[in-house]
Amino acid sequence: MKPQVKIVNCETGEEIIRDATAAEIAQMETDAANYAAEQAEAEAKAQAKAAAEGKLAALGLTTDDLRALGL
Amino acid sequence: MAKQSFVTGQVLTAQQVNDLQTNDFNQTVSAKTASYTLVAADKGTRITMSSTSATTITVNTGLFAAGDTLFIQNLNTGVCSITAGTATVDTSASLALAQHEGGTLYFTSAGVSTFFKAAGAAASSGGMTVITSGSLSTTSVSISGFSGYNSLLLEINNPVVDVSSQMAFRFNNNSGGVYSQAGMSPLTNTILNGGPTSTARAGFATYNLSTTADNTSVFISVNDYDSTVYKNINMGTANGSDAIFGNVRFNDTTAITSIQITTSGGTSNFTGGTYVLYGVK
Repeated sequence: MKPQVKIVNCETGEEIIRDATAAEIAQMETDAANYAAEQAEAEAKAQAKAAAEGKLAALGLTTDDLRALGL
Repeated sequence: MAKQSFVTGQVLTAQQVNDLQTNDFNQTVSAKTASYTLVAADKGTRITMSSTSATTITVNTGLFAAGDTLFIQNLNTGVCSITAGTATVDTSASLALAQHEGGTLYFTSAGVSTFFKAAGAAASSGGMTVITSGSLSTTSVSISGFSGYNSLLLEINNPVVDVSSQMAFRFNNNSGGVYSQAGMSPLTNTILNGGPTSTARAGFATYNLSTTADNTSVFISVNDYDSTVYKNINMGTANGSDAIFGNVRFNDTTAITSIQITTSGGTSNFTGGTYVLYGVK
């Protein structure tokens, strides 16, 4: 099913729901790709942080220890 | 009471005469609580709408004749919009009636009418008027036709989507990198990104949307939205787990004539939530 958009004209009171145009669908796909990339980047950062914390723990250190060193 | 037809020689009853007099001194009221399409029997009567949600009163052709009138008024908080079905409805005002607004619908032919909005609820300087309100649905909601105010305030309440995504706003459906934004999340002690957004972002004030209701509330205020200089926007959002406030600059000198509320996940749809657009004089 095609994505749809809702159009509200306050001046006339008209409200319609129509299929998205090709240009709108293209923009939605761009938005979706951008959103997925952001989600992947956030996930990668979280994993990298967890891995780094694991290495610190293996050395008997915590993030508080690093802060105490001004790092 | 619908218009009566009498024939030559007919003897009128007291009831008939009293009914006619009653309609003169206490106009027949047809009370509605949901969207309604006018019928021929509505001629000369008063249609009242009482709903907390947005409703419409649709006007179709072929039901009325030149010179026919009826009065329409909105009693409740949901905006009631007079909508041209198969007939034409002209007006010099807005066809969207806020609470306590109303007016006369006058037909110049079977298919052409004019709505004469009665004075009464026009906001004075500094006053705020509900321009429109409704439910979020589909992938994107585009609102236009809100000229004549000094500033706008848009509220979004409890948005829900069918697939986790983000909500973004655009002006004039501009998907270019024309939105500079900066914000802060006090709860997570986070400074959010500033500077122009990328073309891919194509919007501003992106907030995570959930597939379940979480009482998210968003506001956006736009001052001098119809000016031809850069526009400054204040915004904020809060839900059960976060609160963000910030500012956006719309780096475009075009007057803002439409606002888009989008799910930037691209393939997701709003399945819940409401919007209210206020105009401030």
